[in-house]
Amino acid sequence: MRFRYAMVCSSNQNRSMEAHFLLKRQGLDVASYGTGSHVKLPGPSAREPNVYDFGTPYKQMFDELRRKDPELYKRNGILQMLKRNLNVKLAPQRWQDNAGDGVFDVVMTFEEKVFDSVLEDLNNREQSLMKTILVMNLEVKDNHEEAAIGGRLALELCQEIEGNETWEDTIDDIVAGFEKQQRRKLVYSISFY
Amino acid sequence: MVGAIMAASSYSYSYSREKLQGLARSAKSATDLPPKLHRLRNLRRNLQGEASVFPAELLPLLFDLLSDQFGAARKFVAQILGEVGLNYVELLPEIVPLFIKSLQDDTPAVVRQVIASASALFRSTLHKFALQGLHSSELDELLQSSWTWMLKLKDEICSLAFKQGNSGVKLCAMKFVEALILLYTPDPSLSLDSQDFNISILRGGHPVLNIGDLSIEASQKLGSLLDQLRHPAAKSLNSSTIIFLINSLSSVAKKRPAYCGRILPVLLSLDAPSFLKGVHAAAANLALKTVFLSCLECTHPAAAPWKDRLIGALKEIEGGSQAEKAEDLFYTTNGSIQDKDCVEDTKVSVEENSLRANSVVAESNFGRKRSGSEYNIDLNGDALTGKRSRITPSVSGESTEGLNGNSVGSLPLVTSASTGPSNSRGVSDTGPVQQLVAMFGALVAQGEKAIGSLEILISSISADLLADVVMANMHNILLNGSSYADGTDELVMNMSIVGSDAQIKYPPSFVAGVLSLSTAFPPVAALINPHTPKTENEGEELCVNHVDQPIFPAVDAVIASGLSASSVNEEGNIELPPNVDYRGNIESGIPGLDSSAQRYVLSEAPVTSVLGSKNVEAASKNQDTSASGELLLAVIPSVSVDKSEEFSPKATGIGSNSLVSSTATSLASAPQFLLPKISAPVVNLSDEEKDSLQKLVFLRIVEAYKQVSMSGGSQLRFSLLAHLGVEFPSELDPWKMLQEHILSDYLSHEGHELTVRVLYRLYGEAEAEQDFFSSTTAASAYESFLVAVAEALRDSFPPSDKSLSKLLGDSPFLPKSVLKLLESFCCPESGDKVEKDLPSGDRVTQGLSAVWSLILTRPGIRNDCLKIALQSAVHPLEEIRMKAIRLVANKLYSLSFITQQIEEFAKDKLFSVVSCISSERGGAETLSKDCVKPVSGEGMDSSLEATSVTEAQRCLSLYFALCTKKHALFVHVFSIYKDASDPVKQAIHRQIPILVRTMGSSSELLKIIADPPNGSENLLMQVLQTLTEAAKPSSELIHTIRKLFDTRIKDVEIIFPILPFMTRDDVLRVFPHMVNLPMEKFQVALSRVLQGPSQSGPVLSPSEVLIAIHSIDPARDGIPLKQITDACNTCFAQRQTFTQQVLASVLNQLVQQIPLPMLFMRTVLQAIGAFPALSDFILEILSRLVSKQIWKYPKLWVGFLKCAQSTQPQSYKVLLQLPPTQLGNALTKISSLRAPLAAHASQPDIQSSLPRSTLAVLGLVPDSQGTQTSQVQASETQESQVQASETQESQVQANETQESQVQASGTQESQVQASETQERQVQASETQESQVQASETQESQVQASGTQESQVQASGTQESQVQASETQESQMQASETQECQGKQQASESQEQTSPSQQVSVPLSHSETDHNQETSQVVASHSQSSPIATGRSETSQSQSSPIGAGQSEVSQTTQVSDSDPPPAPTSHTQTSDSQVSGQRQPDNEKMEEDTATSENERSEVDKSKESSAEEEEEEE
Repeated sequence: MRFRYAMVCSSNQNRSMEAHFLLKRQGLDVASYGTGSHVKLPGPSAREPNVYDFGTPYKQMFDELRRKDPELYKRNGILQMLKRNLNVKLAPQRWQDNAGDGVFDVVMTFEEKVFDSVLEDLNNREQSLMKTILVMNLEVKDNHEEAAIGGRLALELCQEIEGNETWEDTIDDIVAGFEKQQRRKLVYSISFY
Repeated sequence: MVGAIMAASSYSYSYSREKLQGLARSAKSATDLPPKLHRLRNLRRNLQGEASVFPAELLPLLFDLLSDQFGAARKFVAQILGEVGLNYVELLPEIVPLFIKSLQDDTPAVVRQVIASASALFRSTLHKFALQGLHSSELDELLQSSWTWMLKLKDEICSLAFKQGNSGVKLCAMKFVEALILLYTPDPSLSLDSQDFNISILRGGHPVLNIGDLSIEASQKLGSLLDQLRHPAAKSLNSSTIIFLINSLSSVAKKRPAYCGRILPVLLSLDAPSFLKGVHAAAANLALKTVFLSCLECTHPAAAPWKDRLIGALKEIEGGSQAEKAEDLFYTTNGSIQDKDCVEDTKVSVEENSLRANSVVAESNFGRKRSGSEYNIDLNGDALTGKRSRITPSVSGESTEGLNGNSVGSLPLVTSASTGPSNSRGVSDTGPVQQLVAMFGALVAQGEKAIGSLEILISSISADLLADVVMANMHNILLNGSSYADGTDELVMNMSIVGSDAQIKYPPSFVAGVLSLSTAFPPVAALINPHTPKTENEGEELCVNHVDQPIFPAVDAVIASGLSASSVNEEGNIELPPNVDYRGNIESGIPGLDSSAQRYVLSEAPVTSVLGSKNVEAASKNQDTSASGELLLAVIPSVSVDKSEEFSPKATGIGSNSLVSSTATSLASAPQFLLPKISAPVVNLSDEEKDSLQKLVFLRIVEAYKQVSMSGGSQLRFSLLAHLGVEFPSELDPWKMLQEHILSDYLSHEGHELTVRVLYRLYGEAEAEQDFFSSTTAASAYESFLVAVAEALRDSFPPSDKSLSKLLGDSPFLPKSVLKLLESFCCPESGDKVEKDLPSGDRVTQGLSAVWSLILTRPGIRNDCLKIALQSAVHPLEEIRMKAIRLVANKLYSLSFITQQIEEFAKDKLFSVVSCISSERGGAETLSKDCVKPVSGEGMDSSLEATSVTEAQRCLSLYFALCTKKHALFVHVFSIYKDASDPVKQAIHRQIPILVRTMGSSSELLKIIADPPNGSENLLMQVLQTLTEAAKPSSELIHTIRKLFDTRIKDVEIIFPILPFMTRDDVLRVFPHMVNLPMEKFQVALSRVLQGPSQSGPVLSPSEVLIAIHSIDPARDGIPLKQITDACNTCFAQRQTFTQQVLASVLNQLVQQIPLPMLFMRTVLQAIGAFPALSDFILEILSRLVSKQIWKYPKLWVGFLKCAQSTQPQSYKVLLQLPPTQLGNALTKISSLRAPLAAHASQPDIQSSLPRSTLAVLGLVPDSQGTQTSQVQASETQESQVQASETQESQVQANETQESQVQASGTQESQVQASETQERQVQASETQESQVQASETQESQVQASGTQESQVQASGTQESQVQASETQESQMQASETQECQGKQQASESQEQTSPSQQVSVPLSHSETDHNQETSQVVASHSQSSPIATGRSETSQSQSSPIGAGQSEVSQTTQVSDSDPPPAPTSHTQTSDSQVSGQRQPDNEKMEEDTATSENERSEVDKSKESSAEEEEEEE
């Protein structure tokens, strides 16, 4: 069954893009979003983040940061990440602002806050299509290593879901199986378009 | 055709009905799904484009398609139909029945699509229906029928929702129900004139629809939904349904708050753990939590009674923190959930914050929610237009009275919500002194304007009272101090700034006020510290509200501070004690700043309370609070307004505060609040100045180590530095400064502690569940800091210093780069600095010990550390390698959690060394580069061999070390040994002795030895050697080796090591095998046998060894004679061991053996050669041999004669003892003896003692020499004659082949003993023959008795009596023959006219003497060997058959002698006879199986050779 997937984290940079990248490479129909108000990337110190608006192309960020301090941003992996991202899609997208992107079957979030935001946003939309949407949350720490792991897990999960005609009957088993196998908590909810 | 239509339709926007129909038809006719869907898609697009009337004829086609074979097609058609239905209501009565039918579809997706379409249809139909009914009393019939159908469809769908079935369908159906409920009930949030449909329009009256009925139905449906979640039913639901129900019900509850009363109880009861056990608890819990939180925000009265229970339930779900949040939410009207986002969004636009504040007030203020709406809008309006611009003017106009008035005005707002009884505590607690303090505070807060009032107040009160007031204030100052001492660094920092600045810059009259007011600070500080998010919002609110209602938010702030203070209490925060103290004191001091209970005082104070003191109190109280807030916030920015954040520990807290502070700053210019001294110090610094200031601060703290450590505050300093480092912008590079400080004097600067503190701080920053950017920044700072310090420690401290490993051990986390650093310690690259660094060994030790402790204490990086250690253990440099191996094998290997890994690694290396180095020998240079790291680039080829040995050692050492710990591992060394290349083998052999010595003969090792893999013999040998070298081998070991030798490895060498420890019998048993070895090895074995274990003497004495050699039978033991003689020679070569005495005793023993050993005479000859002194002894032996009739052993006889010859003239005496015949024979053979012997015998005294016959032989009395000779000859050949006389036939056969001869004798025998079996017959006949021969030589009796001896022996053994009796029989035969022989001989000796003799004599005459002699010797030789065999194998009566062989031999000799053709050389003849002699054991076999003759032939050839050699030797 061809489902449409959305990967959502807060900035649409690290976790969601890692998963997006992996799912896309596996030929799944996938998009990715962030739910934060801005796209934030590490700056020279904790108090000086690089803040961008959603929609700023990854390429632009890449060029900018490379100009600012190539050493720093290479060391903390930002440049590599941006490079990966700019090959996946043009720019980070905000979930709440992209309701027009169409109907997703499965949304994966990587943080409970994001999960709540997505659900809240879905609930605030007019639900007229009567189409179910599965929203799952997998807690993934926001660093490169964990994102890689989380992306892999998300891919596995989506591939498993993809193997079913509908997810409504099997989701409990899939989640239980996943939790047992990966020893990670997986929370899901169901919303409607 | 179809394609053309499609193409046309997709590019053209004007569609005719025909085209549409054509599309539908082609879609219908398409057999595959993809084209079908494609056409349907086109159709749909075309339909959407169509604005005109729907082509009715299309409908049947679509209906047909609704029962298409493909589910996907049906689904799509249902979608199209739904859209058609939306556009053309008149078609609904036709469409809906089919929808109802399709609800039973097998494919869930179709059903879901139908429900979805139905949902839209239902809504639009209801809408139309309702509207039409409102506007006209006459309803369109078509619409009415459509509605009726829709109702039917609705009922069908609802029934689907409440029965078991496909989850997806069920969810959709339930969603439909939810939508239905919402549709049927009025939406309170929509006003009547809203564009959206609202059922409440029906209130106007509708001919068909009754709003009440609809509500009842909605209520019923809701009940059905709720029932599903009620206890028994819920258990059978899957969790997706439960989650859906929770979500759905919550949205109903939110959208229709009236239902809260019904929905919330059910949801709350869901919380029972027993229920949640069955389902996916986490998801359900989460859903519930969301619901509860959203319900808490609900403002509908129906929701209100449930709030407490909701909070309780949330508490249960989330634990304390969440509930507190809820409490906050509920009571402080701080509605938005403050998540990290708002913390992070320090730079988020003002609008957003103000919006939040707006929503806060609007939605969730418990007390104000109704009356406050207009007011809030005002407030929002203000906030939206921008706070900063409006702050100053709005506040500035207000006077003290205005302030008070305001507070009065605001109080009712607060109290309006009061429900409880009034609490007068606030009043009763307030004494006159406190009131005065409060009043002072209020006045002071007004700044200079109030100075006049202050002076009036001061002058009007009594001195005593004034003193009391001052004292009360002093109390507060003291408190300040105490909290300063105990507070956290952040607190301290703020406080100190507050204190110092206040003292310096404020007018003295103001100082007291400030100080007293600053006591209000701690709760706020406490707020800032652990509950920053809240503070922010409070600050926000504070500032927003300040605009219009200066007092009101202040109350909130107090409440908030009180609340958070209490929550701090609950959490047992460090700051608890000072706060408690503080509040306790304050209670008596400044009433307005009481604990959380104070809010009741405030909110519950009756409106009617007298304005007098109460009002003042309230006013002052509020004033206090707000002023204090301002003070705090204003004082901080007094250093630098905008960058105040950098001085404050929590950026987030300050972020909000700075807003307030800016407010306060601008407020300061207002007349009432004007505090000129506050505004004065505001200096705008440039970025550079700020940076340098910060840097100075930082450096000052850094440099203050001496003072700080003296005063005992170094912990604080560490924390401070670490914290500042995190907060500072990276341009300042605080870490660099810190590093420099740390490394400038690591020890005295408490470098370790500081470093660790910094690392923990950074690590915490990196690991905190913050977002991406801060964690990555901190992580990279962490890494570089740790690496820098570690490298500096490495470079500046000697390797013996423990600082580095202590640092690594104490660091919270070791990044890869540090591990790499460690690796460079443990496994320095060969080209690295190692060469320069002489004490690199110590460095390695340092690294390894660090690795060790990390492995022990850090499970997380255990694998990485282990990898380092293991890499080091195969390091090319031996010194390093040995160190690492010691660590791995002795310390790490015993750790159970890594044993496996270590073993695997070592095994890999072991196996790799075989595959790698062996393949390298294949010639691939590239491979060799991979396997062998060349120590130096050049000279590679020449040193290849050596390199690979060391390389092999490099890879093997670890494994060997492990073997000593776990002996079972050793087996793999054996298994790889076979395939190992020479260098590897060499390496193995080098290490084995040490290894095996360490291991000892453990049971595991024995197990390996007991079953060594093929090809590992050499290794095994070395192991055994090593094992036996050191100590006496255990009996188990000996047993194992013996068993191994017996069963698997036939190589006798294997038992060499244990030879000294074996029993004598065992040694004797394997002795022939040893003799069969090459000379050198035999020598080794010999020395071992003779050496023996030190305590108990040799296993075999030298004489025993010699005897053992002599008792070997080449034929029986399958050992070439040459080997035996070699062994003898070897023994003789060792004169120290095999001394004269030894030889004498050996000969003495040997001569007693019957029959004599084959090599006896040879040994005697050798003995003479070696020890001439033995000659007398040997003569004695010779004479004993004479008495033993030595001449009957032809071979020995020759030796005897040689011996006599070599010992002449002493041997003459012995010779003369010979019977005349033998003497004659001897003289014939050694003619050189004749003259001296005759001369000797002719001595009168001797001659007289000699018999005449002897003298005749010597020619001393007349007798013909030739006759004598022929006589001898005749007697010798008689045997064959006898044979011949028995059957002429058999003799003929004998001429032809040997086998047939045996066969013949068998045949012959069968005549005599027919009853015997074939084999026994042969034996018997052979025995008989031997008897015959015996009699023939005229010594029949002696011989018989000799044979009898063997008979006795035979009967004594396990051989059956039958055989014994058999032999006896043959003996009888022999005696019979004897008789006749005796006669015969008599006649022969006298007449010599026997015909056969006549035949033979001429023949023998035709041969040379020498020739005859030789053939005889040969015969006797071949004769002797069987006899010897017979003797040694005492257990078998083999002597008889062998005797038969012997007779055969002689017969053959005869035959060849009598051969008419020209005689071949003697050599040929003798060897032939030898052959036959050798062949006799084979003959036995051949009787059974003549087919083996070919096989024999080769054996014969061999023996031919050996006998030929022997022959040469003999000569």
